[in-house]
Amino acid sequence: MRQLAMSPASSAQRGSFGWRKWISGIITTGLTLYALLTLYPLLWLFISAFKTNEQFFSNPFSLPSSWQFTNFSRAWTVANMDVAFLNSLIVTSISLVLTLFISALAAFVLSRFTFRYKPLIMGLFLIGMLIPVHSTLVPLFIMMKEMSILDTYAALILPYVAFELPIGIFILSAYMTSFPKELEDAAHIDGSGYWTMFLRIIMPLSLPALSTIAVLAFLRFWNDFAFPLVFISKPSLKTLPLSLSVFADGYGTDYSLTLAALAMSVIPTIIIYLVFQEQIMKGMLAGSVKG
Amino acid sequence: MTTAARARAFILIGLLPALLLYLIFVVVPVIWSSYYGFFSWKGIGEPKYIGLGNYVEVLRDPIFWNSFKNNLYIVAYSIFGQVPIALVLAILLTRNSWIQKFLRASIFMPMVLSSVVIGLIWGYIYHPQIGILNFLLDSVGLSSWKAGWLSDPKVAMFSIGPPIIWSNIGPYLILFIAALQNIPGEVNDAAKMDGAEGFRKLMRITLPIIWGTIKVAVILCISGSLKAFDLIFIMTRGGPANSTELLATYMYNNTFNIFRYGYGSAVSTSIVILSLLLILGSQLLMNRNKNAL
Repeated sequence: MRQLAMSPASSAQRGSFGWRKWISGIITTGLTLYALLTLYPLLWLFISAFKTNEQFFSNPFSLPSSWQFTNFSRAWTVANMDVAFLNSLIVTSISLVLTLFISALAAFVLSRFTFRYKPLIMGLFLIGMLIPVHSTLVPLFIMMKEMSILDTYAALILPYVAFELPIGIFILSAYMTSFPKELEDAAHIDGSGYWTMFLRIIMPLSLPALSTIAVLAFLRFWNDFAFPLVFISKPSLKTLPLSLSVFADGYGTDYSLTLAALAMSVIPTIIIYLVFQEQIMKGMLAGSVKG
Repeated sequence: MTTAARARAFILIGLLPALLLYLIFVVVPVIWSSYYGFFSWKGIGEPKYIGLGNYVEVLRDPIFWNSFKNNLYIVAYSIFGQVPIALVLAILLTRNSWIQKFLRASIFMPMVLSSVVIGLIWGYIYHPQIGILNFLLDSVGLSSWKAGWLSDPKVAMFSIGPPIIWSNIGPYLILFIAALQNIPGEVNDAAKMDGAEGFRKLMRITLPIIWGTIKVAVILCISGSLKAFDLIFIMTRGGPANSTELLATYMYNNTFNIFRYGYGSAVSTSIVILSLLLILGSQLLMNRNKNAL
């Protein structure tokens, strides 16, 4: 994937005329206003989360007159966010590890070996990217009911991994194809088997692609709402988005509590975003040109 | 074991977990739902075979077609909202100064939020009594413009537009910036020497070069819009009076609220077929356009 960078030489404004500086200043101001407008709903969320209900009603735009840190501790216990956080963490991390390992293994086979049904299998995985996830909710529900795995972590983990495989295999096999052919020869001289080669050579070399898939999959699993909505009904197994969704049902007359819960749920994704910005952007790019 | 046999065994073991999971949880459900569509089934008891009954009912239900129309609204929001805004922003944001990086990062930000969070935040913005939109209209003296943004069936589907556009500009922005940065420097230099600058250069050189990317973006809008569910489910559940119903919420409500699993399966199958037709159609249309140009 190409780096999001370019030589500024050809397009940079030389500023040989005064009015050019003005135009570029106006454009930057406009862009900044737009960016602030984009960030405002989030900013509003974090500011409002510190207000009392009365302050929230009287002026939704002002800063809190007294900062209510207790909103957060109250939300944490009242909305059972500890349970939800833990569930989201368990489901997301297990799905993530499985997605990375299984798609890397399949991509290794599909990119470094030749065999008869290879194009067929590759095509099968590519079709998967066209299937709208929601159209499988009903049949998956019926199927998992008969397998009696509804209301377990598996009811989320297994479909998550399955739906993430096509994009994972697609990105990884494209990446692994670029490794030099000598890798296999060297491994054969070594006498090491395919497993050793996969674990010791291919996996470490694929780290950049793996990390791209990991951040994308993290966001998808952590934020997903539809699967837990349909497959999970036990309160003790609810993930974060599902337990937040109760606030959409008119439960939410305690606004400060709702907003504090929302604000807390957003913090992990914001941290991940700030740390892995480049990977997320590159990954979305790779995911979008697949079509 | 011979080398060839060992290679074959490894190929098999390597592909098996991926293939099994994928077939069981992605492919089989799609096929199975088309089969379940032939039955009347309430989730308990014996499913009753009713032939094409469910499918005929789907095609005859005006709410189904209204939901499809709402999906097309979302396609329109994406194509006429996200794509042009992202394109303009991308043209202005190709440099890598810290301010531009910061602006890109801010605009991309909503993309990483869960739709539940986005839906709830916008629910507060649109709230009829405590919403900040109505508050804002009051405070600038436009009280007559106040509306039940999500509770008025005539307005609700339009209110869905801004949150969708707001949260999805990011990937299109990145897509366009990458395309613009891929334009070789010589092209820009040559344009400069020929005196093509500003708007003229944009229309005559830049846009034609990235036209392929714009088409990819439009196709992405179409396939992405068919996936819309969470946001609307959180904000309106498809109401009021089905005015914001999408194919996916229609399917959800029919299956899990009134327990018609057979009918829900038939709807699922119809969604898959409609999606594939739309995606295929858009690809064909876009390719024909290219040849015509």
